Amino acid sequence: MGAIEVRGLVREFKKGPRAVDGIDITVAEGEIYGFLGPNGAGKSTTVLMLTTLLPPTAGTATVAGFDIVKQGAEVRGAIGAALQEAALDKFLTGREHIKLQGSLHGMKGAELKRRGDDLLERVGLTDAADRKVGGYSGGMKRRLDLALALLHNPRVLFLDEPTTGLDPQSRTALWDEVARLAREDGVTVFLTTQYLEEADALANRVGIIDHGHIVIEGTPAELKASVGRSSVEIEPHDAARLGDLERTLAAFGTPLTMRGTSASIRLNEGVSDVAAIVRALDAEGIGIHQLRLREPTLDDVFLEQTGRSLEGSGDDEDAAE
Amino acid sequence: MTGFPTWWSGVSGIAARQTRAFFTNPALIIPGLLFPMLFFAAFAGGLSDLTRVPGFDYAPGYTSFQYVFVLFQSSMFGGIFIGFAVARDFENGFARRLMLATPHRSAILFGYAAAAMIRAAFTIVFVTVIALIAGLDILGSPGQIALLYVLALASNILGSLWALGIAFRFQSLSVTPFMQIPLFILLFLAPVYVPLQLLSGWIRHVADVNPATFLLEGGRALLAGSAGPVLAAWLVVIIGGIVLGIWSLTGLRAAETR
Repeated sequence: MGAIEVRGLVREFKKGPRAVDGIDITVAEGEIYGFLGPNGAGKSTTVLMLTTLLPPTAGTATVAGFDIVKQGAEVRGAIGAALQEAALDKFLTGREHIKLQGSLHGMKGAELKRRGDDLLERVGLTDAADRKVGGYSGGMKRRLDLALALLHNPRVLFLDEPTTGLDPQSRTALWDEVARLAREDGVTVFLTTQYLEEADALANRVGIIDHGHIVIEGTPAELKASVGRSSVEIEPHDAARLGDLERTLAAFGTPLTMRGTSASIRLNEGVSDVAAIVRALDAEGIGIHQLRLREPTLDDVFLEQTGRSLEGSGDDEDAAE
Repeated sequence: MTGFPTWWSGVSGIAARQTRAFFTNPALIIPGLLFPMLFFAAFAGGLSDLTRVPGFDYAPGYTSFQYVFVLFQSSMFGGIFIGFAVARDFENGFARRLMLATPHRSAILFGYAAAAMIRAAFTIVFVTVIALIAGLDILGSPGQIALLYVLALASNILGSLWALGIAFRFQSLSVTPFMQIPLFILLFLAPVYVPLQLLSGWIRHVADVNPATFLLEGGRALLAGSAGPVLAAWLVVIIGGIVLGIWSLTGLRAAETR
């Protein structure tokens, strides 16, 4: 049995859409599962159900072997979660949060102190531990939230858009910690994100959700391979030769969308075509101002599956999330 | 750790947080003390000549008569104020942490209620000290006085359960008037200024069946060491506890399914 097993899970809001519409997911022990989709796709609603904060309308799910509806207390004892907005009390210090979180999980005394100190050090908050959280930066709050989620050694960790609003340095530090948790501690991580690079860098497998449905699932490499070959985009020295450029390139692949001063194609053979393209353009006397070779990305996968781009999409979608 | 130890640990953790917030935040502690003192000063000080009204036969005097009202009023409102704290925690998202991290969620309800009781106990001590300075006369036996304070703390639990039921259901500070106003109405339709037998007309009819009347008259009888509706006061606490317990627990269930 996987660490997370979801079958036909549905959540319907009153007078609203089906935010989650019959999804199936299996996440293995120790796996990092990236759950990708635009705002309003159903990511957070799924997490709320799997963490027992929201009951499903239909379907079943087990987390760490426990049914999310019938065994809520056991699920909560086995999971940690850092949700979109860190739920912290600005009047408590970091250490007081640790103490409260520990008491909620039945931890106390030396065990709690040792574990709390370890985690505060691991997330780089030892020096700030006795300061009130009201004075923490966004990154510090996220890191404290992560420490709190890990306090009771959860078997499954839910991270809902954990790096939204973080600076690049904090984001990288958090990625490193999440990767280490899965690798060294065997923690199963369910990571929702709208950042493609985050899913690409961290996840063993990725599921893409759109309008409450999972549209595709697999390893990042599999998903990108499913889109096909690399593409190349070339900008000529002389903008007047753009038409000639397009005609020359057409022999090497399928034309893609044009961006005014450049032309791009999906390569027939892949990277090995590039040398031949350069030679052909040289023979035609078309100077190259810029040449960009692009590997397929998860955004290409999303585009292929939904006809829309994931990056920057969905900002106006439903408020269920 | 599982089962009762985890549950109890959750209750004490939540109660400790709320208690710390109360004792370290002047904005919480000062109104909680000023409110009952204002009532006490206004009623016991300004209306003491009421004891000359024929039929006003409360032996310990008017200060003691009003002390019982202030005791119950401050206890019950101590419970109401915990509803404010819960609503605030839902509004700022902190309640989500509690819902997520507490395996047995009834610990949330009991934790907040325990914090309200600690707060009420502090207010009761404060009010009693002030009342003793102002001339509180105690004629009841130590056992009766102990029962009076248990009754006051039980009324705090009733106030907490009422307010928690609302806070869990609506999860917003905008509904706090619904926590307070019914209690104000209940208290002020009871014999606040004069004994029940001196009330007449519609207010007498209302006071005769008002549960707060039994609490006040029972409490006053315990303080005076005299006969009174003490048993009825306990019935109010027991029946009220059952009804409001169901109200708050179903509120918690509603919060879980929102």
